[in-house]
Amino acid sequence: MASLATIESFVEGAPPGELADVINDIKTLTINEPSLVSELGPAFEKYNEEQFATVKLPGSSQQVVISSHNSLGDGRYFDVESSSSFAFDHATQKASEVQSHVLDGAQADLVNSTLKSLSTYVQEHYPKASYGVYPTENDTKIAIIIVANKYSPNNYWNGRWRSLYIFDPSSGSLEGSIKVDVHYYEDGNVRLLTNKPITSSVSSGTGAGISKEIATSEKKYQEELNRGFTSLSEGAFKSLRRQLPVTRQKIEWDRVASYRVGQDIGGGSSRR
Amino acid sequence: MAAVDPFDSALQPGSKLTRTHPSSSDLLRRLNPKHTSEHLNALIQLAPDLTEDLLSSVDQPLAVRRCRQTGRDYLLCDYNRDGDSYRSPWSNEFDPPLQDAAPSAGEEQSNPAGLPSEKVRRMEIKANEAFDIYRELYYEGGVSSVYFWNLDDGFAGVVLLKKVAAPGTSGEGTWDSIHVFEAIDRARFTQYNLTSTVILSLATDGSSLGEMDLSGNMTRQIEIELPAESDEQQIANIGKLVEDMELKMRNLLQEVYFGKAKDVVGDLRSVGSLSETAREREAQRDIIGSMRR
Repeated sequence: MASLATIESFVEGAPPGELADVINDIKTLTINEPSLVSELGPAFEKYNEEQFATVKLPGSSQQVVISSHNSLGDGRYFDVESSSSFAFDHATQKASEVQSHVLDGAQADLVNSTLKSLSTYVQEHYPKASYGVYPTENDTKIAIIIVANKYSPNNYWNGRWRSLYIFDPSSGSLEGSIKVDVHYYEDGNVRLLTNKPITSSVSSGTGAGISKEIATSEKKYQEELNRGFTSLSEGAFKSLRRQLPVTRQKIEWDRVASYRVGQDIGGGSSRR
Repeated sequence: MAAVDPFDSALQPGSKLTRTHPSSSDLLRRLNPKHTSEHLNALIQLAPDLTEDLLSSVDQPLAVRRCRQTGRDYLLCDYNRDGDSYRSPWSNEFDPPLQDAAPSAGEEQSNPAGLPSEKVRRMEIKANEAFDIYRELYYEGGVSSVYFWNLDDGFAGVVLLKKVAAPGTSGEGTWDSIHVFEAIDRARFTQYNLTSTVILSLATDGSSLGEMDLSGNMTRQIEIELPAESDEQQIANIGKLVEDMELKMRNLLQEVYFGKAKDVVGDLRSVGSLSETAREREAQRDIIGSMRR
């Protein structure tokens, strides 16, 4: 049981685009207990719904999003833009059994108008992204999802940007989060993980207004994140290790024993 | 490594180790590097027969302990460990003291945690003094420790450096350097094989930025032959190798953490409008085209 929890945590931690690699490693490591991997179904489902896995519907070229907000239960999901529902295999990440699924209900009009304006925004700022808008919380609110992946395993890096917003038409509030996950693993393992909560409001309550607010929040966040890189580079990173000593010269190792006499050559305080 | 693994008999012997180890290191290369120690413990729980192998091959952030004899801080790693005890480079004493000093005597060469010979310990003392100066000049704080052990045809060692940047307006961070080397006697030279790992964790947060964590580790290796006719020259050679390697790795980390990672974010989402960028590019092409005509 403890082993299952362990491998489930490995699945949960899989970097963007590397779930299959992580599963292969798990399979090898649990070769004596092959039944363990077959119990990972719920972990795969959680991973795919939280990471907004994308899948191509049979006969279509467009990627659609997997999330808890467009789940119909029993492994089926729906896509508003193509008016279809489909079965999704969480282990293989493949879609099948496409059926017609026409959205109706209280939020249907807002969902469709948001989808339309969101599409324009996404095309303007994401070279390649999938998105979706769905009624949620018993058709009282709408969920807006954007996910962009870029995988370059040949160059040992992969990245994911995912945004989730919940718009409440009764209050006009727009709340959500933007998460960025970048993995670089050539001769090492470097990971950027960010989480930015968004709290905002859209007074117009229209699809165009929602998309405009998302565009503003995301632009502001990306600029802030770029400043975060600079701040960490100029701040914490620099304070950890100097590029060269204060003298701007490398150490003369043949004479290093004599440095002890002039102890304060570096200007810092010694522990002794 | 030479010791009999108590878990070995409970599971398949032999081939399993070589078969599963690549998977565990591949997994550790993929999972969040900020939590390598937790992943390592989880892997050990999953495959207990890999315990010694994993502990000796996976670099983790270094723990700090204060030497009871000298009051100075030193760093803990697998190379100064014997059971649950760690040896201080300043006093050469284990803490807690070893229960039974005898068992590894006579085969200290195969036991990295064992005490170095008198000659190698003398070099170790000098190396600790030299890297204490290095630490002050480059880190302006932090902790350093150097541990040596004997090899059949030379000696080997590990140079450790650690610095923590306290949380401030420009973020917080931790740097751990782990340089493992062999110095092997050749006819007219000493051959140095150096494997260096830097574990660098950085984080910052704020109301407008949210949480931002940039953590990881990178490893580089080098092999070089250098003349070394005295103990002083040995230490000078090791010092130069480590100093050059750290400079190279610092530049590399800077490039990956602040260049590559930021570029990937820019590849995922464009701050500017993509159609405008495309129009500008087209206009540029037109200008270049008209100049060619």
